[in-house]
Amino acid sequence: MTSLADRISCQEQLLPGDTLQQKWDFAQQAGFAAIELRGKGDLAFEARLPELRQAVADGVVMPTVCVEMLHFIGDFDADRRKDAIKQMRSQLSVIGEVGGILAMTPASYGQFSRRLPPFEPPRTPEEDRAVLLEALTELGEHAAREGVTIGLEPLNRYENHMVNTLADAVSLCAEVGLASVKVAADTYHMNIEEADPAASFVAAAPWIGHVQVSDSNRLEPGAGHIDWALTLGTLDAISYAGTLAFECRLSGPNDEVLPRAVAKLRGSAL
Amino acid sequence: MTTVEAVSTDSLRRDAVRTLIGNWRGGSTVPTASLYPHQWSWDSAFNAIGWAHIAPRRAWAELSGLLGAQWADGRVPQIVFDPAVPEDAYFPGPWYWRPMPPSGPPPGVRTSGIVQPPMHAGAALAVAGHDPSALGRLYPRLVRWHDYLWERRLVSRYGLIAIVHPWESGLDNSPAWDAPLRAVPAVDVDVIAGHRRDLLHSRSAHRPSNEDYARYSLLVREYRDGGYLDNFTDLRFCVLDPLMNAVFAWSSLALASIATRLGFDPSPHHARAAQLTESIEEHLWSPSLRSFAALDVHTGALQPVRTVGGLTPLLLPGLSAGHADALVSTLTGPAFALGAGATGVPSYDLTAPDLDLSRYWRGPTWASTNWLVWKGLQTSGREDLARVLASNMVDLVAGAGLREYFDPTTGEGLGGADFTWTAALLLDVLSSLKDDR
Repeated sequence: MTSLADRISCQEQLLPGDTLQQKWDFAQQAGFAAIELRGKGDLAFEARLPELRQAVADGVVMPTVCVEMLHFIGDFDADRRKDAIKQMRSQLSVIGEVGGILAMTPASYGQFSRRLPPFEPPRTPEEDRAVLLEALTELGEHAAREGVTIGLEPLNRYENHMVNTLADAVSLCAEVGLASVKVAADTYHMNIEEADPAASFVAAAPWIGHVQVSDSNRLEPGAGHIDWALTLGTLDAISYAGTLAFECRLSGPNDEVLPRAVAKLRGSAL
Repeated sequence: MTTVEAVSTDSLRRDAVRTLIGNWRGGSTVPTASLYPHQWSWDSAFNAIGWAHIAPRRAWAELSGLLGAQWADGRVPQIVFDPAVPEDAYFPGPWYWRPMPPSGPPPGVRTSGIVQPPMHAGAALAVAGHDPSALGRLYPRLVRWHDYLWERRLVSRYGLIAIVHPWESGLDNSPAWDAPLRAVPAVDVDVIAGHRRDLLHSRSAHRPSNEDYARYSLLVREYRDGGYLDNFTDLRFCVLDPLMNAVFAWSSLALASIATRLGFDPSPHHARAAQLTESIEEHLWSPSLRSFAALDVHTGALQPVRTVGGLTPLLLPGLSAGHADALVSTLTGPAFALGAGATGVPSYDLTAPDLDLSRYWRGPTWASTNWLVWKGLQTSGREDLARVLASNMVDLVAGAGLREYFDPTTGEGLGGADFTWTAALLLDVLSSLKDDR
């Protein structure tokens, strides 16, 4: 297994350049080892297949895709939920086809927060759980057939009310019981939700399928107060084998900020 | 070493990191979850040395938390109790140490009233090698801690600092304390046995006896009832321990380095280290043991036993070549068998008739004292033997896991599991072996 320092990736929209090839040139110069794709709705990700295939042919490394929609597998509306599952099935197939390993989604985003009015969601926790188990089972079976993994990302309490901690996500993954259903952790959300992020990583170790990195203030690693030495030391200690994908905002111009942030993370790796 | 090759050092390192993370309690690391649910003074220093390799912030938090419980008189207490843990989860718990004197801990902080070897300046210097950020903030507290020891614990006719309880040595039931402890009556043995919690988590054959626990408890009560004043003539137990004094001198040198880095005058710390080194050589050397030994202040007698504590003056760069060479020959001879059959330095003489290879500090080998001897061998220019001992430390964990202590003849793991300082010091040793390659 290569060092974590050599497994840092960056979401495509953060990288300068008009094409994946241009972005990849910059990414490599900046110290990244891969690009994380973003998967829009209306099967837009599937429509990018020719572009993605050419990028693979040109040597671009794209192991993961992160969904970019405004409806999700835990939507309150059955039709929107059904479409979200359809989009995720497609994204799983596409990422597998271009040699990737994982597509990720939160249970929902921006739909409801128990910390904001009206405080009580229209569904019970039991109903939430049933909906998520059904979706994750279908997506997990599909992912297994495609040889890839579906990652469930916990979001902080202000962005989602169903899955906030790694333990919440592990509980769902464990009940689904498929090796193709894993947790996609994000250090920004963990900073808000986990009492001890390092201990949470250790407790969830067998279930961690992907990790996104962003600092306590949603900016690039190094711009906030997350303990990166501890974070990377912990991920090494649990033998985490995936990539660390930058999903964040940037504190300045990307061509200045990204190389500095990669260097910061590399310096924190064992 | 074959064992090391059989189990990947990467895998051992990962086990150690997970153990530190698992034992972290938000501001410090418990030695092991069930047996020792609080913060211990010299453990924290060793823990910080380990944390520095993973997360220097946690190393500083560990030392800051401990020094934040420093008493008004400057002492750094042996235990800082976690208020979230029930008072009776550990004996003697906070209730046994009360009332605290006006010179005691800050308001709201619960501690014991005795001390442990002052490893902290040495640990702070080690952490500063990774991240110096908290050094300036902790320096004044480290100075006050050393001043307490020098001003309150100095037995002037010997020029050495005294321990007033066996637990202050860190080597709680070492045979070095047997004779001084025999002068302490074992009263209320059944009552004290009923208070003990250690036996719920560990086999009685691996722990101190009930009679000794009764003696330890009486010493606590008498020190407490005297307001934790260090009036040696009033205290039944008053011993000059080579480990305590060697660690104090070693940390004084570290404090001198810290002072220099921060622009303060290092000379008082250098002077103390030199005086302590000279006094250790003058008063604690036993020609017949070819080792340093503990001295009972009340009787003036050197204790006629070889323990690992007697080897720790190897840490001192000012030690005479004659004593250093003799210590190395004792360490590699039949009593401790380094490189000659033992794995790790036994806590007690392997040739002693009352050697007990499974009972705590009466034979087993420990990561903490192995680390001190390892550092001492480096200081004494015996890198060859230091490497042997470092390999031993890795082998013990490879064979038996991150245990509290080990049988040095079989490698069997003993005491608590997932033990923090075993993990922390393994990280330090592995890092050093990596640097060697």
